[in-house]
Amino acid sequence: MSAVLAPSPTNLEAPAGDEHIGKWASFVASPSLRLTGRRLLQAIPVLWGVTFLTYLFLNLLPGDAASQLLGANATPAEVHQLEIKLHLNEPFLTRYWHWFTGVLSGNLGASLANGQSVSSILGQRLPVTFELVVVSVVVTMLIAVPMATLAARKPRGIFDRVTTILSMGGISIAQFVFALLLVLLFSDIWNVLPALGWTPLSQSIGQNARYLVLPVMTIAIPLAMFVARLLRADLIEQMDSQEYIVTARAKGLSRWAQLTRHALRNSMLGIVTIFGLQVALLFGLTVIVEEIFGLPGVGQALLTAVNDRDAPLLEGIVLVLAGIVVLVNLLIDVTYGVLDPRIRHGRSSV
Amino acid sequence: MVDGLQLDGAAGAPRGGTMTAARDGRGGGGPLLEVTDLHVRFRQRGRQVFAVNGLTYKIAASSTLAIIGESGSGKTVASRAIMGLLPVTAEVTGSVRYAGRELVGAKERDLRRLRTNDIAMVFQNPERSLNPTMRIGPQIAEAIRLHMDLGRKAAHERTVDLLRRVRLPSPERRYFEYPHQLSGGMRQRVMIALALSCQPKVLIADEATTALDVTTQAQIMDLLLELQAELGMALILISHDMGLAASYTEEVIVMYAGRAVEHAATKELFSNVRMPYTRALLDAIPRVDAPSHTVLPMIEGRPPDLSIRLPGCSFAPRCPDVQDDCRQAIPTLTELEDGHEFACFHPCGGGNG
Repeated sequence: MSAVLAPSPTNLEAPAGDEHIGKWASFVASPSLRLTGRRLLQAIPVLWGVTFLTYLFLNLLPGDAASQLLGANATPAEVHQLEIKLHLNEPFLTRYWHWFTGVLSGNLGASLANGQSVSSILGQRLPVTFELVVVSVVVTMLIAVPMATLAARKPRGIFDRVTTILSMGGISIAQFVFALLLVLLFSDIWNVLPALGWTPLSQSIGQNARYLVLPVMTIAIPLAMFVARLLRADLIEQMDSQEYIVTARAKGLSRWAQLTRHALRNSMLGIVTIFGLQVALLFGLTVIVEEIFGLPGVGQALLTAVNDRDAPLLEGIVLVLAGIVVLVNLLIDVTYGVLDPRIRHGRSSV
Repeated sequence: MVDGLQLDGAAGAPRGGTMTAARDGRGGGGPLLEVTDLHVRFRQRGRQVFAVNGLTYKIAASSTLAIIGESGSGKTVASRAIMGLLPVTAEVTGSVRYAGRELVGAKERDLRRLRTNDIAMVFQNPERSLNPTMRIGPQIAEAIRLHMDLGRKAAHERTVDLLRRVRLPSPERRYFEYPHQLSGGMRQRVMIALALSCQPKVLIADEATTALDVTTQAQIMDLLLELQAELGMALILISHDMGLAASYTEEVIVMYAGRAVEHAATKELFSNVRMPYTRALLDAIPRVDAPSHTVLPMIEGRPPDLSIRLPGCSFAPRCPDVQDDCRQAIPTLTELEDGHEFACFHPCGGGNG
């Protein structure tokens, strides 16, 4: 009787009956896997909407691929001939349907400009953009986290004041201006780093790194300033208002230990969310950066595709980038669970 | 219930900075903690709040003291001032002597060595007082490793022992759990284990049971008292609960508007209330034997605005027995009867009201 009235704590807190359900069933029932599945299903309409809208807007732009590719001196007859060859004379929806069914069967089509298959173009260019973005994100964190923590150690101290000024500068400056400034300093005046070009990672790691430095700095430094600002504010907020920090102080921990061992992990939760929102912006930024530094990445191809009204290429790139943004956001949700045990254990926070 | 845990000098750890104080309780030896004329003032954007205005008390090892008062009476601020835990906006003056050492104005480095090691605190809200992103075991082991020269493994073992000592069920497993996986009572047990981790001489329980339900409250209080007696700690119980003070402590201070208004041995205080404020607090406790639908007596008015300093008694605006002189001068806390101090010109009881 008493056993019924007072269930043992283990029964309440752990799904103890797992043995007879089996490992597979409990794996399928795990909250994080269900979340992943749901999010992937939700991605399908998102991806479709993105490609459709892109196709629509590209079509609304004046001029088509034929006239863009042939240039201003082409005769109307030549343009018309190329239009027929590229099926541009067919109605918009027919062309989209053609492309769409191709994608469903795994074929991204070929570039209108040079006939090269879109998937091979992506295969060449994605690694460049990917490397740029990943290295930039890592460098951003490597700058922002120590900077914010040091600044929060003594709010309004000398380090905090200096980094505040730097941060405001970093947030305010336009990336393309910053890029040109870097080129001026490192390539023109000091002549230590190349301003243009690319060597793939597979050819030479050292050369690859040299070409990567300026583009990464262009992205990472302003972003790091932004992140550091937010992180510093959140850390100070945690330090000033959270009870668990009072506990940490009452233990006798130093302010530095309170920050790094207690506040930082809680603050990172907010930062990770913001980063998720920034990823889409980050890929937008690669378009500018790749163009300025002549990196043969996806961003550069995107710009060319828009200029050439090269629908299949543009669609392929947009589809892949949208897919990456969706995946990164999913990844962020999973990371959130790693940082916050309350989410990992499938309970609402209290 | 004495189990394997040797709280005293485990693994030959040097207890850096600790002075041995008298352990033979009241009577023998000097006071372990002596608070004299403690003032705390908060300054923020030109506004001043006088949170504590001249608090004086002392407590010997192995004894218990309750500090009673409404929210905002300064009891929490006063106790945090002892450990130097107030934010930088607080200005603390007066004197706090622990085992002969002055703590007000002491260097942060020295205070840090004292915290948890000599003076420890159990906070009101175990929900928010534990780091939600950290397993509970390491949160305790962290304090142990900071103050005692113990390795990772020894600190882990000591933590598990402590968790067992505060009767947390299956401590070996709980060590690796997060705060949200525990119930409120269990979390407060964890907080107590943390507070006791380095065997402090003074334990301040700041509304330690307020957030808990009544049965858990009794369990936690019994646990605290048992450990207090066993380890010979001085226990300062901060609460707004008169009943709690009456049943668990030897001495009571009633605080109002940052001042002590009545101070006596618990038995004496509750049998012979002199301060009208204490009287009003006691009257506000609902009685089971009163007929139903009796209007609950309450204290008229609101707690005072601590940014304004009144020339007279701060309870005067709400006092039922107020006279003209109450508004002119502040009554000081004086010992008018043997061992019974109160700050009132016209005390209730005793016939001279």
